[in-house]
Amino acid sequence: MTQERAENETRVVHDAWDLGLYRWKVEADGLKILVDGLREGRIVGRKCGRCGTVYVPAVSYCRKCFIDIEERIDLATTGKIRTFTVNLADVRGNELEEPQVIGCFQLDGADTWLMGVLVIDDWKKVRVGMRVRARLRAEPKGELADIEYWEPLPES
Amino acid sequence: MRNVGIISVGYNGRFVSKRPDINMPELVQEAVENALKNTRLKLQDIDAFVEGNMPTFEGVNYPHLWFSDHLGAVNKPVLRISTGGTTGMSAFHGAYYCVASGLYDTVMVVGWEKHDEGDAQVGLAGIVFPEIFTLFSFGPSMAGPGAGGVTGGGSTGGASFQATSYLAGCGGDVAHIDMIAAQARSNAALNPYAHLQHPGCTPEDIAKTPMVSWPLRFGHTCPTSCGACAMILTTEEKAKRFADSVAWVTAVAVGATDATTANLLDGQLNDPAEQPMCRKMARKAYEMAGIRDPQKEIQVAEVYDGFAFQELMWSERLGLIPEGTGPERVEKGALAIDGDMPINPSGGVVSTNAIGASALVRVAEAALQIMGTAQGGHQVPRKVHNALAHGWGGLFQFVTITLLGDRPRHR
Repeated sequence: MTQERAENETRVVHDAWDLGLYRWKVEADGLKILVDGLREGRIVGRKCGRCGTVYVPAVSYCRKCFIDIEERIDLATTGKIRTFTVNLADVRGNELEEPQVIGCFQLDGADTWLMGVLVIDDWKKVRVGMRVRARLRAEPKGELADIEYWEPLPES
Repeated sequence: MRNVGIISVGYNGRFVSKRPDINMPELVQEAVENALKNTRLKLQDIDAFVEGNMPTFEGVNYPHLWFSDHLGAVNKPVLRISTGGTTGMSAFHGAYYCVASGLYDTVMVVGWEKHDEGDAQVGLAGIVFPEIFTLFSFGPSMAGPGAGGVTGGGSTGGASFQATSYLAGCGGDVAHIDMIAAQARSNAALNPYAHLQHPGCTPEDIAKTPMVSWPLRFGHTCPTSCGACAMILTTEEKAKRFADSVAWVTAVAVGATDATTANLLDGQLNDPAEQPMCRKMARKAYEMAGIRDPQKEIQVAEVYDGFAFQELMWSERLGLIPEGTGPERVEKGALAIDGDMPINPSGGVVSTNAIGASALVRVAEAALQIMGTAQGGHQVPRKVHNALAHGWGGLFQFVTITLLGDRPRHR
């Protein structure tokens, strides 16, 4: 089925692209609003005045209405897990010493999802829909790491 | 719009991990030669060519400039279409538009990938480099319990999120993914062109593979394959002249939604397991083909399952099985080659993944089923009147659908 040709007819040529040559422009004002808010212990997004969709990180135009949006809104630090995964092995299949739960969290009042690490004693307890809280740094620096991690809310 | 028939399917050979003896143009040429062999066509009868692959994996930007002669396309029109994972089917749709519009009569489409010349991880990372570097500039956690959180912590992340949400929605568990993966790999053993063939594969065999990114195991994940697929499309009149069997295109549909990998730059709105555009565009495709009850009128489907659970998810979203019934159907064997709704008799993408070819191979396999010529034992036992082929791609946001029938559609 596979027509093998003589190996000595084929040469291997090595090369690479230098990514350092590129200067991509990226819109990042939503992340700037987020980290500036985090410096003050707040999670800030934007809300569309027409349809009410709340984006965090903020976006400059509403994805549904296609209009520019400005109105800022504070979000609570609580929310729920919408989905998650648990890193148990690396890409080659070697088991990780410490499994890591990565979740997509939807803050109360927001329509978008934020990715982050969920710290929990036993990864097998994690469920979609679980209530969680973003743990903020006691001394924020105005960067994404000011959200230290996420943790399950105590059962009420 | 004219009716368009597929009159030939050609694979370059069995899909494999490496082909150190040939280069990309030669890979493509092998498939072109094999597609021509099944017909009474000569190369000069092909009016135009459509070609596609996903260049991030080999790092060669416009490869068709290199191999138009190996395509057999010297002095002929060549249209290159590249849309990530949906490349193969987008290219097929392009070839369909060429013939349906009346602009060309006979068109060859080729989808291919030569993964051994690059690195799949680098290729995938290349899609998100600007995003990752932007995130780094905003000081994400690099140490401590939160480290790596905003970049998903690992490469299987996106599909894992989709899988977790899918399971939560339908009440399934990892065992169901083990079952469908085992079915895929055993089906592949009945397909002489498939890459990962595991005759008699059981869920226990799959469950022995490491859990990489819960709920996804190694055994639930596609390989990287080298291979090329070529197909020839033509008009009703020429189909009679040049070939003995035909699979007719009865519908094409495409959908896009927002990127759903929770990347922090874009504000994800949708759940990757919901796929509203797949539902909507499947309905549109059924309408175009005149199919009122897909669960009864479709005899086989080839869906794009880079990860085994996706066979269950896409079957539901495409309306081939009722929503939420994926787990129960795989338990009952309803999706097997001899089941009520055979899904991926070829072994699917989870057994064979040359990315630029994979979505085209779904159409090719659906065509073989219609023609009754699938080799090696993976032809479904019932006569196939209608078959569905599906592809997805991008950051879980693009969907392509093609319906094939055993008779031309007449309006």
